Amino acid sequence: MANEKAVLLGNEAIARAVVEAGCEVACAYPGTPSSEILPAIAKFADSLGTKTVVEWGTNEKVAFEVAMAASFTGKRSCVAMKHVGLNVAADPFMSGAQFDIEGGLLLIVADDPGPHSSQTEQDSRLFGLFAKVPVFDPSSAREAMEMVKDAYDLSEKHKIPVMLRPTVRVDHCRQDIEFGTPIELDRPAKFSKDVKRWVCLPAHVKITHPKLNQKIDAVRDDFAHSFSKYNYEVPAQEKAKLGIIAGGISFAVVMDLLAKMGRRDISVLKIGTPHPLPVDIVSDFINRHENVLVLEETYPVIEMQILDRTKVKGRWNGFVPRAGELVPEVVEEIIHKALGEEFSIKADEDLKKAIEELKVTPKPPMLCPGCPHRASFFAIRKAFPDGIYPSDIGCYTLGVNQKTVDTSLCMGASVTQSSGFYLAHKIDGKLRPVIATIGDSTFFHMGLPGLVNAVYNKHAFVLAILDNRITAMTGGQPHPGTGEKPRKGDAGRAIPLERVVKGCGVEFVRTVRSYDIEENVKVLQEAWEYAKEHEEPAVVIFSHPCMLLRQEQPKIPVRVNHDKCIGCKFCINFFNCPGLVFDESAKKAFIDSRFCVKCGVCLNVCPHGAIEVISEEGR
Amino acid sequence: MQYIIVGLGGQGILFASRVLGQIALKRGENVIGSEVHGMAQRGGSVISHFKVGPYKCPLISAGDADVLLAFDQNEAIRNLHFLKDGGHCVINVHRREAFQNESLKTYLAKRKIDAFLLNGYEILNEHMGGNYLFLNVLILGAMGGLNIGGISFEEIKEAVSTLSPAKFRDDNLKALELGKNAVHAS
Repeated sequence: MANEKAVLLGNEAIARAVVEAGCEVACAYPGTPSSEILPAIAKFADSLGTKTVVEWGTNEKVAFEVAMAASFTGKRSCVAMKHVGLNVAADPFMSGAQFDIEGGLLLIVADDPGPHSSQTEQDSRLFGLFAKVPVFDPSSAREAMEMVKDAYDLSEKHKIPVMLRPTVRVDHCRQDIEFGTPIELDRPAKFSKDVKRWVCLPAHVKITHPKLNQKIDAVRDDFAHSFSKYNYEVPAQEKAKLGIIAGGISFAVVMDLLAKMGRRDISVLKIGTPHPLPVDIVSDFINRHENVLVLEETYPVIEMQILDRTKVKGRWNGFVPRAGELVPEVVEEIIHKALGEEFSIKADEDLKKAIEELKVTPKPPMLCPGCPHRASFFAIRKAFPDGIYPSDIGCYTLGVNQKTVDTSLCMGASVTQSSGFYLAHKIDGKLRPVIATIGDSTFFHMGLPGLVNAVYNKHAFVLAILDNRITAMTGGQPHPGTGEKPRKGDAGRAIPLERVVKGCGVEFVRTVRSYDIEENVKVLQEAWEYAKEHEEPAVVIFSHPCMLLRQEQPKIPVRVNHDKCIGCKFCINFFNCPGLVFDESAKKAFIDSRFCVKCGVCLNVCPHGAIEVISEEGR
Repeated sequence: MQYIIVGLGGQGILFASRVLGQIALKRGENVIGSEVHGMAQRGGSVISHFKVGPYKCPLISAGDADVLLAFDQNEAIRNLHFLKDGGHCVINVHRREAFQNESLKTYLAKRKIDAFLLNGYEILNEHMGGNYLFLNVLILGAMGGLNIGGISFEEIKEAVSTLSPAKFRDDNLKALELGKNAVHAS
């Protein structure tokens, strides 16, 4: 009987393969483009009735360590995250590489070349090289599925964690795939005590590090001889006019382009295992070609492992742009350049003119209509027009549109940077109000250590925790504050934010309704006065469910009274709602009924009182 | 066959590309496409690529798309370059006068692009209580009514019915018919 087929998102396909490979413990922290992997693992585990434990970790480090210990007992485990998540998990990742693990440990790190939804476009393959961990780099969802299974086998064969590094175009591709049957592993958890194996004392590292080097050499040998399904030449030609070495999704881009261009004088060497690079295969390819181009995302990881780069054009020597995604338009130009052929893609003059005349521009992301964060930011700015606003990573980074996000560095930095801003001004004896914003999930992820630090060291600032009961930006995952868990019938325990904050030693803690702008201005000012007086952080928890949760709330239809609107754009600049637009010709603000959700929050916004409730009679 | 779907985050573009996927699955065709998730989805410009055939790359190159479905007219204009000569597009318009722009008319004419414009907001205001969540299915209905992209209305209907959550199924099918009727009324 033929296997069942489905058209799945790349991340769902990866998840399916994880379950089919017999993974028993799967952990993750959400982050684009990796977020859909864990929920899909739960979905397939439910439908296949496997025992797999599926959990969101508080952060990536937590998730990594939970999965790793399961692997110590012989269970197959998996941990998924986005590229910057691996920065958080770098500590267990670096030392974990040196352990002789027992059950297969698969690390899935989703990279975001572009970037589309991230603060960096770092290349996790390079992190693999740094930690001495083998890396698979899939060129499609289908290939990623196969790689998951091979990664588990490789991980157990060499007793080493293995990384699967899909990029956003693999994670978020949609492709037809075939389901397999899950393997059943009968592996009761068995932790055999062995200090030399499980305790990373310096004396032990003197043994484990050389051993890791041997493992990597052995894996390189495997990649060169046993993985021709991932590393191969198309079409196999002795000597083509141009030889392209392509890794990951760049291979797919190149193949469709060559088919379209109808070129047969170009050879492609596909590399699906970029670290450790099967150097012999690559050297042989380079030796047979006069002209070699390396295409990979986003750093020159394959290229850097090629020792003689005299003939090689790539990101390293700047022939290929050193940043950014290699989309078809970019690659087409690079290939022609490498061939020394004239080529340019010209925008159509008429279309260009139409776009200019009609003032059509890309629409940047905005907070959703009705989003509670918008109201919170408005209150913050109103309370402290001269404040410093450190913020964090999440939907609310979009508060930058309301001029209430001054900094965003990485997860949790809103809290710690507030400390830094406080200290810098305190030294000069000139305090400035510092109001930090952080989401509920981000607070649990990495806000906590910063808050403890601020209480301990006596730093005065206001921390606004924007509690919308969800990890919103990544599509709505639960977190410790909600207590929900991914698998059916599995319930966690919700941890109330207020208790956590008090437990950290914060004395001033208030929970307020996000939409209540006028009241919240007062609470925020009170909080800052308290913080200054007592030299400690004060916390205001802004509470209102995310609009993605679609909870029922009163509908308050509004309009802009054009007799009162003076066209000052205050509402556009500081409230910034998709439902409020400005008509440049009429010089007035309007409600855009396509987007307005009738939350009624903007009633408090206009300094001239031009935004009004539509009364029953007036409708 | 290559399809581009554009619009703004929250307009249901991902559901539309899942419908195309379902149809291809039913036919047993190879497909590959690309979607946008994450921050870019928050009300910003969103684009989905969808290719049916022996393709490896999920992205469509400029001038290669057979069909462009646009849930927003500005996004349509920004992405017209993806359409090949003789391509088809269905565009949800809220300001029809933009399509009187001479340069735009020249471009569409010389590229022999067939553009079907409909005001989905008006249709949904009139027939579905102004619930714009059904815009995506409405556009798919119009595509089926136009019989473009090698997909029949019946195939779209079956896929929408399969993928719809139970509580939205009837309304989705209604919106689909509204889209088809908009074509026949024009």
